Amino acid sequence: MAEISNICGVQPEGFVKIDISSDPNFVFENDLNYAAKQLFDGEGNTVFVNSYLECQHYVLGGWDYTPLKNSEVLLQESLLYVVVALLAITFVKNTAARFIKR
Amino acid sequence: MKTKKVGTIVLLVLVVFIPWFNMDTSNDYSIPKVSQEDTSFYEVYPCKISLTEFILSNPESIYQNHFYFRPDNRSSIQCFGRVSGVTVLQKGLVTQFFISVGTSSLINLLLQAFIWIALFSFIPKNTDIEKNKDVFKYKNLIILLTAYLLTFSIYAESRFYEKQLYLVDFQEIKSYGLIFLIFTLVIKNFVETFVNRSENIVNYLPYLYLVTGLFSGFNLSFFAIIFLYFGLQSNLIGIKNKLFSYTYIIISIWWLFNSKGSAFFNVGKLRGFTSSIFEFNANLFWIVFTYFLIKGIWRIYILNKNSFRFSLFTKNLSITSAILLTLGVVSANLPIFNFINYYVLGLQRYGVESKTPFAFDEYAVKISWRGIFPSSETIGEFYGLCLLCLMFYVFNTSKVKLVHYVGIFTSSLGLYFSDNRTAMTLIFISSLVYFFAIRKNNIKINRSKIMYSLPIIFTFIYFIQSNISTNGYEFMSESVIAKTFTFQKEYALSSFSTLITSPDVSSVISFVFGFISFLGYILNRSEMWGFFTARYNPTFNELLFGSGPLNFGQLYGEIPVNSPESLLLPHSSVLSYLVFIGLIPIGVLLFIFLKDLYVNRANSELLLFSIYIFINIFKNDSMNYFSPFVMYTTLYLFLRSKKDLLNFGKSSSQ
Repeated sequence: MAEISNICGVQPEGFVKIDISSDPNFVFENDLNYAAKQLFDGEGNTVFVNSYLECQHYVLGGWDYTPLKNSEVLLQESLLYVVVALLAITFVKNTAARFIKR
Repeated sequence: MKTKKVGTIVLLVLVVFIPWFNMDTSNDYSIPKVSQEDTSFYEVYPCKISLTEFILSNPESIYQNHFYFRPDNRSSIQCFGRVSGVTVLQKGLVTQFFISVGTSSLINLLLQAFIWIALFSFIPKNTDIEKNKDVFKYKNLIILLTAYLLTFSIYAESRFYEKQLYLVDFQEIKSYGLIFLIFTLVIKNFVETFVNRSENIVNYLPYLYLVTGLFSGFNLSFFAIIFLYFGLQSNLIGIKNKLFSYTYIIISIWWLFNSKGSAFFNVGKLRGFTSSIFEFNANLFWIVFTYFLIKGIWRIYILNKNSFRFSLFTKNLSITSAILLTLGVVSANLPIFNFINYYVLGLQRYGVESKTPFAFDEYAVKISWRGIFPSSETIGEFYGLCLLCLMFYVFNTSKVKLVHYVGIFTSSLGLYFSDNRTAMTLIFISSLVYFFAIRKNNIKINRSKIMYSLPIIFTFIYFIQSNISTNGYEFMSESVIAKTFTFQKEYALSSFSTLITSPDVSSVISFVFGFISFLGYILNRSEMWGFFTARYNPTFNELLFGSGPLNFGQLYGEIPVNSPESLLLPHSSVLSYLVFIGLIPIGVLLFIFLKDLYVNRANSELLLFSIYIFINIFKNDSMNYFSPFVMYTTLYLFLRSKKDLLNFGKSSSQ
C-alpha cells in the first residue's frame, strides 16, 4: 500500500476500488484532476497512466519500477558479473602461482 | 619490494578518495550553498552531485562543527559517493546540517575490504612460508564455509539488514547469491594475504583498536574472518579441545532450545560483536561465530607461540596510541575527516564531536573524551594497557627508542582525556608495585600467604561494613536496589530484582549482593547495575546457563522499564556475560582463571596485567567490543606462556 501511495500519490477522496480483472473489456477513464504519471516495469517498458485507478492497477501488476530501481537492478547484475570475473581471476592467479612454485 | 609498497600506498589513496568524485556528468548543475532556509536543491536532485562537488560548493563544511556527514547505506549503487539528502535540524541556537552520503552496502563490502586487505599487506610476511604448511590446509573449503556462515548471518538478522541493503529481497534465496559471491571474493583475497603473514598477526594486534574493520551497513567485523578461518581449520584438521567443545555443544543445545520468541536489539556502538535480534537463527549464528572465534584465538596462539615479539608489540602499541589520539583530534575538528575516518577505519561509532579534550563541565568534573573509539572507558583501558606494557618493556631493557617515549606521552595524554580513573589508579599502583616489589623479587606469593591473606580480606570487609557507619554501609549496599526501584515499572518486575528483594532471600545472597552493590557505589555503577537488575529477567536455567553468546535481545526486549534517554549497557562485562553464558560457566571460568593465576604466580607481568584487566572488565563493557576481546584473550595467553618477559625483547630485531 505504501508503494502505491509513493508512486500514484494520495488516494482521492471517495475512491472506490473496482475489481478490473473480472471485466476484460474495462476501459480506464482519464481523470482531469490527476496529473499523468509514467510507470516502468522490470524490463524498462513504459506506460502513462491518467487516473489513480489506472495507476493503482498497473502498480499492483508489477509496474512499480522506477528508472532508479531499474538502473539498480542492472548495476547489481553487473556487479555480479564483475565479482564472478574477479573470483575467476583470483583462483586462476593463485593456481598459476602455485604451479610456478612447483 | 619498496616499489610494491609505494604502489600499494598510491592505490590505497586512490581507492579511499576516488569514490567521492562520482559525479553526474550528464547534467551541469549549479550547486547552491546549503542554508538554513533552503535545502530544496538537494530535495530535487538527490544522488546527483558528488560529495566533492558538495564540499567545493560548501567549503566551510570541512571545518565547521555543525556539519555532519553520514553514510546512507540503503542507497543505490549509482548513488555511491553522492549526496543523497540534506536535513536541517535546529538544536538550541545551533543549526545542524546532516548530509547523507550514498554508501551502498554491497559496494562497501568490496571497497572497505580492499582498503583493509591493502593495509594488512604492510604486515611483514612469514620468514619461512614452508614452515607452517598447516595454515594452508583445507583453505578453499574453509573460505567457502566462512562465506556461507557470513551469508547466513544476513539471513538470520534480516530485520537489521532490511534497513541497510537497497533492493534486496530477503525472502528470495537468489538474493543471497550475490552476497555470498562477494563474501567469497573478499575472504579469498584476505585469506591469501594473511596466511602468508600468520606469524606476525599477534605482533600487530594493537592496530585492531585503530582499524576496527566494520563494514558500513553490516553487523560484521572484517577481522573476525581471520579467527573464523583458524577456528574452522582447527576443527577440520582434528585439533581436539574435547572438554571445551563438548561442554560448548551441550550448552549450545540448551541455548537453541531456549531461543523462543523474537526480541530486537539496536546494536548501536556494539555493532560487529553483538546480535541484533534474539531469535533461533541469529542465536545459532552467534553461537557458531563465538565457538570458532575462541577456537581461532587458541589456534593462533598455538601456531605463533614463538613468534610473539614483545618489543615489536609495544612499538605497535605506541604507534597505535599516537595515531588514535591524532585521528581523534582531527575527527573532532574536521567533520569531513570524521566521516572519512568512520568509513575507512570501519568504526563502530562516529568520532567524538567535542573539540576540546581538556573540557570540564559546570561542576568542574572532567568530561571524558573518546576520540574515534566508541567508548571512552574502553579506550582509557587501552591507553592504560599501553602504559603497562611500556613499563614492562622499559624496566627490562635498555633499548628504549623514541617511539616508546612517544607511546608513553600519547598514552598518558589519552588516558587523561578518557578520564578512566580506575585505569589511572591501577596504572599508578601497578608501577609502584612493579618497581619496588615484584621486580626486585621482594614479594613471593605462595599458598600459605594466600591462606593468611584470606582472613585479612574478610576482616577488612567486616571492618568496612561495621565502621563506615552502619547507615553509610547500608545506604551503599542498597544503592543498586534503590536505583532498580526507580527504573522498574510496577506492572513488570524482573525475576532477578524479585529474587534480590524477596523477604525470603537467604542471608548469603543478600550479603553477596549487598557487597557487590557497595562496590558498585564506590565505582559509580549503582545506576547502570540498577538498570540491569530492573531488566534482567532470567528463568532459573537461564540464570545458570545464560541465553546465548553476544545476544542482548532478551535482556532489552523482555521487561519494559522507565528507560533513560540513551541505551545503557550493563557497564560490567561480568554482567553481560552473565546474560550470555550464565552463572555456572562464569564460575567455572573464574575458578580456572584464579587457578591459572596461582600456578603462574611467579610471572609478575601476567599477574599485574590480569589484575588490571579483571578490575576493568568488572566495571566496564569492554569485553562486548571485538578489539578488546581479542586483545585481552590473546595477550593473556602469550603473557602466560612466557615467564621471562625479557626473552621477548631480546630476540626481536624488527
